[in-house]
Amino acid sequence: MSAYFRQVCAIVKKDVLLEVRSRDRITAMGAFAVLAGVLFNFSIDTTTTRPQDVAAGLIWMTLIFGGLLGVGRTFHLEAQDGAFQGVLTSPVPKDAIFLAKVIANFTLLYAVSLLVLGVFALFFSLDIGPNLPWIMVILALGSLGFVALATLFAAVSTGTTMGETLLPVLVFPLLVPMVVFGVGSTGRLMNGRPFDEVEGNVRMLGAFAFAAVAAGAVLFRYVVED
Amino acid sequence: MSTAGVRRGATGFTLLGLAGLIGLFWMSFFWVSTEVNQGIVQRIFYVHVPAAWTSFLAIGIAALCSGVYLWLRDEKLDRAAVCAAEGGLVFATIVLLTGPLWGKIAWGTYWNWEPRLTLTLLLWFVLVGYFMVRNATEDPEKGKRFAAVVAIVGAIDIPFIHLSVIWFRSLHPEPVVAKPDGPTLPGDMLATLMVGLGVFTLLFFGLFLFRYALEGLRSEADLRARRPTS
Amino acid sequence: MSPSAPYSPSGVDTDAPTESPTLEAIDLVREYGPVTAVDGVDLSLDTGEFLTIFGPNGAGKTSLLGMLAGATRPTRGEVKISGLPISLSEHDWRSKVGILSHRGFLYARLTAEENLRFYGELFGLDDLSDRIAEHLERVGLADRARFEVRQLSHGMRQRLSLARALLHDPDVVFLDEPYTGLDPSAAGLLRGVLNELKDGRRTVVMVTHNLTEGLQMATRVAIQVGGRFVWEQDASDIDFAGFERQYHAVVEARS
Repeated sequence: MSAYFRQVCAIVKKDVLLEVRSRDRITAMGAFAVLAGVLFNFSIDTTTTRPQDVAAGLIWMTLIFGGLLGVGRTFHLEAQDGAFQGVLTSPVPKDAIFLAKVIANFTLLYAVSLLVLGVFALFFSLDIGPNLPWIMVILALGSLGFVALATLFAAVSTGTTMGETLLPVLVFPLLVPMVVFGVGSTGRLMNGRPFDEVEGNVRMLGAFAFAAVAAGAVLFRYVVED
Repeated sequence: MSTAGVRRGATGFTLLGLAGLIGLFWMSFFWVSTEVNQGIVQRIFYVHVPAAWTSFLAIGIAALCSGVYLWLRDEKLDRAAVCAAEGGLVFATIVLLTGPLWGKIAWGTYWNWEPRLTLTLLLWFVLVGYFMVRNATEDPEKGKRFAAVVAIVGAIDIPFIHLSVIWFRSLHPEPVVAKPDGPTLPGDMLATLMVGLGVFTLLFFGLFLFRYALEGLRSEADLRARRPTS
Repeated sequence: MSPSAPYSPSGVDTDAPTESPTLEAIDLVREYGPVTAVDGVDLSLDTGEFLTIFGPNGAGKTSLLGMLAGATRPTRGEVKISGLPISLSEHDWRSKVGILSHRGFLYARLTAEENLRFYGELFGLDDLSDRIAEHLERVGLADRARFEVRQLSHGMRQRLSLARALLHDPDVVFLDEPYTGLDPSAAGLLRGVLNELKDGRRTVVMVTHNLTEGLQMATRVAIQVGGRFVWEQDASDIDFAGFERQYHAVVEARS
């Protein structure tokens, strides 16, 4: 077990280090998030819609598109110089590789999602103060479920001739539960409703994240074998 | 089972299914009484609901066969999964075509984010993804593995999608058969629906077996084509 | 042209005949849809042997190496290491195998030392710092330990990659076109380290286009055409001077 843990840690550490050195993905995703906020501002007719009412949906959509941008690249970075081949032919179990990738991508996406939350709160003057801890938990669960599905299918689409263009086609239909439960709960909490009202949603979001991680850990080996 | 055996089975199921289909059409057009509130359009129900049932049966079979395929790597299981997925795509398309026809009259709009219709639409996209992945690899074996993963994750996700779209909104007619206190559908309607479910299941298996036999022949032909060149 | 039997015992075999070979392949086949890349290769190598596989492009050499190294699942057939069949879902046997490809398997934004440390952690090695220092020394990169890989020349990367492949002291080493893109001096350095691999403790399989280099190293030579070994011989029986002509004759006769 400790060998397993050591291998997972090594891959996570490597991914984080690479991201810190290059800052490719975090820059792209962060810039995307802020710019999406700016564009959304102009896409809302404030004479008919209050931005606060749709902000939760916009936050989640930004997360999904920004997340695809970052997570979709995860195996392309590995493919340079064949490095991933080296990882796959090492004695690391494939589920450990998957879990490590999920942890690394989650760290990245969660950082971006907190940035998105902050930026949108500022742009659309959202009053998130009282429910902030719960909103952060919900974003964490949503990011985790998203990252698990996106990592698995990023590996699939990287292996096809269509590449990343296939990723949204595969992932979007599967993300519906995350959007419904995520938007439903964050929207209400942002409107100052009590947590009890959205507890069921948060549980479902947790179950979804768990199922996505478990399914990915089991199925990843069949995607990366050659 | 030999290919000839599969073909005999396919013919049997399909003929039974087609005969049943004529019976079902007769029942739903002439025999069953017209539903009071929705009028004549409600008769589409006897095609719509069985088609929906069949499409979900199909993804279930596809996911099951895919899972065992990944485990045992028997080509037959992959073939069965493709055939089921293809059947699922056909029947899901029927649901998506008949739903709006009914919806236009019952609700006044062609499309409506009604949970079960939404669920079928998403199932349809999952199945489309299944075939896209399958055909987007240079190595067919890789395409089979990828498609199997799509089918399995899709099948696992469907209960979640189901719960979420119900939670999101429901305008659909309430469930009329599978309810705790027994079906509330009048006897003749229930009978017609049950016949519809049976007929569509038979038809599905008939088509499934035909496709399966065809895939078997195709792989035999591939094998024969390969021999002399190598 | 004298195709030898696939199971022909090697001339330098010192082990007892009952002992299983270090690396064994039994009727390996790999199909990619309608294309058969590897078409029934049998192979049996003992410790200390160095097999070089030559062949034209598209002969299925890389697919064969992929299956031997457990990166590619065979369509049919089996690979055994020390008598045990390798399995794609098992992991322990992988620490007996080292792979050096013309692609380095290195991360450009990590330093030489970090790359080796990463692979060392994956292989669960102890005394990593000492081991890394020792291997960097061996490939002449001790002074470049803190350089990011993207700052190293191609030859240095290839040497670092060699250190990476040998870090866990594998029993079986696979070399996939290691000379690709190396200038003569880098090739000389590589040759030096590869010669060290012939220390009698390892089994090496090399795939290459480079007839001179490949022949110098080998204890056994095979020519692969159309997915099959069409020619196989012990290196001691080969006339080095005439080999190039012989190679072309074999390839042309079979393709």
